[in-house]
Amino acid sequence: MANCDIELIAHLMRRAGFGATREQLETLAAQGYEATVEQLLDQSAEGRMGDDLIRRFHPELSGMMGTLGSGENWLYRMATTTTPLREKVALFWHGIFATGYPKVIHGKALSDQVRMFRYRGLGSFHDLLVELSRDPAMIIWLDNQDNHKDAINENYGRELLELFSMGVGSYTEQDVQECARAFTGWTLGNREYMELRSMRDSDWPYGRISWHFEFREDDHDFGEKEFLGQRGAFNGNDIVAIICQQEATARFISRHLYSFFVADEPPVPDWPYAEPQDAAAIDILVQAYFDGGYDISAMLRTLFNSDFFKDRAVWYRKVKSPVELVAGVLRLTGEFDRPRKEILDRYQQAIFMGQFLNNPPSVEGWHQGTDWIDTGSLVERINFASQQLGDVAKPGVRTMVERIAGSQAGSPEMLVDACLDQVGVITVSEDTRRELVDFAAVAGGAGAARIAEVLQMVASTHEFQRA
Amino acid sequence: MTTVQNTPEIRFLEYRMTLGMTTMEGRGFYYPTDIAIADDGRMYVANRSLENVTRGVRVTVCDINSEYYGTFAAYGQSPGQFIWPSACALDSRGRVYVSDEAAHRISVFDREGALLSTWGERGSGAGQLDTPSGLAFDAADNLYVADTYNHRVQKFTAEGRFLASFGSAGNGGRADNGGSAGNGDAGLNLPWGLTVGADGNVYVADWGNDRVRKFSPDGEHLGSFGTSGRGDGEFHRPSGVAVDAAGYIYVADWGNERVQVLDPNGGFVQKLRGEATLSAWAANFLSVNVEEGEARSRANLEPEIEYFVDEPHEESSHIEKYFWSPVSIKLDREGNLYVTESNRHRIQVYRPGAQGG
Repeated sequence: MANCDIELIAHLMRRAGFGATREQLETLAAQGYEATVEQLLDQSAEGRMGDDLIRRFHPELSGMMGTLGSGENWLYRMATTTTPLREKVALFWHGIFATGYPKVIHGKALSDQVRMFRYRGLGSFHDLLVELSRDPAMIIWLDNQDNHKDAINENYGRELLELFSMGVGSYTEQDVQECARAFTGWTLGNREYMELRSMRDSDWPYGRISWHFEFREDDHDFGEKEFLGQRGAFNGNDIVAIICQQEATARFISRHLYSFFVADEPPVPDWPYAEPQDAAAIDILVQAYFDGGYDISAMLRTLFNSDFFKDRAVWYRKVKSPVELVAGVLRLTGEFDRPRKEILDRYQQAIFMGQFLNNPPSVEGWHQGTDWIDTGSLVERINFASQQLGDVAKPGVRTMVERIAGSQAGSPEMLVDACLDQVGVITVSEDTRRELVDFAAVAGGAGAARIAEVLQMVASTHEFQRA
Repeated sequence: MTTVQNTPEIRFLEYRMTLGMTTMEGRGFYYPTDIAIADDGRMYVANRSLENVTRGVRVTVCDINSEYYGTFAAYGQSPGQFIWPSACALDSRGRVYVSDEAAHRISVFDREGALLSTWGERGSGAGQLDTPSGLAFDAADNLYVADTYNHRVQKFTAEGRFLASFGSAGNGGRADNGGSAGNGDAGLNLPWGLTVGADGNVYVADWGNDRVRKFSPDGEHLGSFGTSGRGDGEFHRPSGVAVDAAGYIYVADWGNERVQVLDPNGGFVQKLRGEATLSAWAANFLSVNVEEGEARSRANLEPEIEYFVDEPHEESSHIEKYFWSPVSIKLDREGNLYVTESNRHRIQVYRPGAQGG
């Protein structure tokens, strides 16, 4: 297999997943690029650490009363799944439909929302928005339980249009109000009791009760509405259908997909004033959106198979988010071959680096790209990755070290190339390589210790910290 | 074998009461994992709590009348502390044994909670432990330990001296100490709860194999009950097992979020889904916290729900009275059955009910 193919597959796996080991990349390269894209999109054969195992040894990851359990659960999946695109797409939607613990105060409700992203996130955008509108955590997050037929609360209606589908400038204030009217009566069951317990952060008497959606017919405005130029007695489902027909929606989602999977775009609030860096790519994705009947998988198939995605110019253009970095390292080290209490520490490392799953800074989610990096977070990122990749007690590291040792890489150059290869076929700049070679030439120790030192240095490189 | 299915001895269980409530400190439970019931009626409840949090990990001492006698032990690595407390058992002198799945050791306390000893070291050799969970004593004060990640059961003296090991895949279920061959069944897979029957046989919740295994005191494999599934007599990841004097087998069918009763031959008798009511402590909480109590009284706690996934775990997370993570199942001397639910931080108690028919 030509190395360029393996490098391209490595790029694909960094973006569509959380990276892959050299061994996995060889297998994927043997089946070819397009087959790998199809495999990523196929969710039917998921393998991962099972919920039963996780729940047995970590009861809080089963009951999920607090702030951390839902995210730890998710990290286990990211670190062990054989269908990484599913988790990556859930992370994508979590960044857009950003819902957070401080207002919801119910770990399982947030975890349930992520589960919905996992199972709906690669399907029809229409179905996803309908589920989102019924999602109890979202209802509480944006106050739709207070959206009544006699007194609307516009919060969900506004964000649905502004942040979740079309973007500012594509609708009027009247559209917002009509949208809100259509979602009156969309609330959660036992609203009073559940809301009260949430406000009081009450686990009493018997732990949290999961939330469920309830449509209150008596509180729904069945009257006629005018929305985006269409008139009718619309309910929430009709509103979503109209939203999905809009060119603005197609462009908004396309730009999000481009920014997440191809190359960082400026933050969303800048979009009305800054043209996409690759307008032609957005056009292609918009076409895929309509051709595929709003199907996200169809858009991603187009994206991953496009020249704009494969172009070397976009490789390493994305800064890994903290969670992506941590999950990628854990997949390399193979630490979680069984439930271990260390999952909490690994998860907290991502928080220290600035990404607290299920607790985004605002409804706008996290600012991506170089915003992830400041002097403090860079130290955290490098320390974490270096420490993990330097620990030869971890099964994945041991395997890498053995393979590097077996490759008879005697010179510093050969050792560096072997290390870059083993951590997932990383291509580095000439400058980076020169620095690594200089380091390898003076690295202390011998055998495994020396290899581990070079692996640690690789983990600190610009390219390893990016995708 | 008698035709027990037709005798009037068949004991259907009836719901009796619920004990406990969620608290991180003091009177209550926080992710309880097991209980042990002393001859004087005191119950020792091991609480796992959250990861790496100093609060919550403890043994709560109480009884069926909701009397609270205090707590002992705490989170930590030091002797007498726990990281992942798992099971509880009492020897004939009433000493309290607690397994720790992360420290790979057994801690022994007197009935007042003073530490007497700790023993156990991590490993896969004879007498070493990897993630010890279920604990049970036989009548001679030998302690059986579910040595989870070694996929075996080990037998120790009460002082921790190794006696025997059995059930691992490597020996086809035979005892390591020269016991006779079993029926050729594959070995245990991540065993969890276990118990010793009145006949001295050892019953093991073979968690990863979805069945209950029966071994002689020497480790001879005597039989296997159940298969994977959700039907009657089928299990999904059973966590615990209890056996009464007549040989009836009570199984915490953890992954199916229910309890099943089997007759001594393994025939299906009854299944329970859970019907918790307010415990004395819960009722007290809601009477003091009036606003929550009133909101609760107006809520429909058994709503009709269109579930996103068809899983018992999901259903139990929504319907509070159902068992949610029934991790342990124990009998007292009167035949009351105690089902400890980790995710609901409580214990549902059932009693022998109307005769079968």
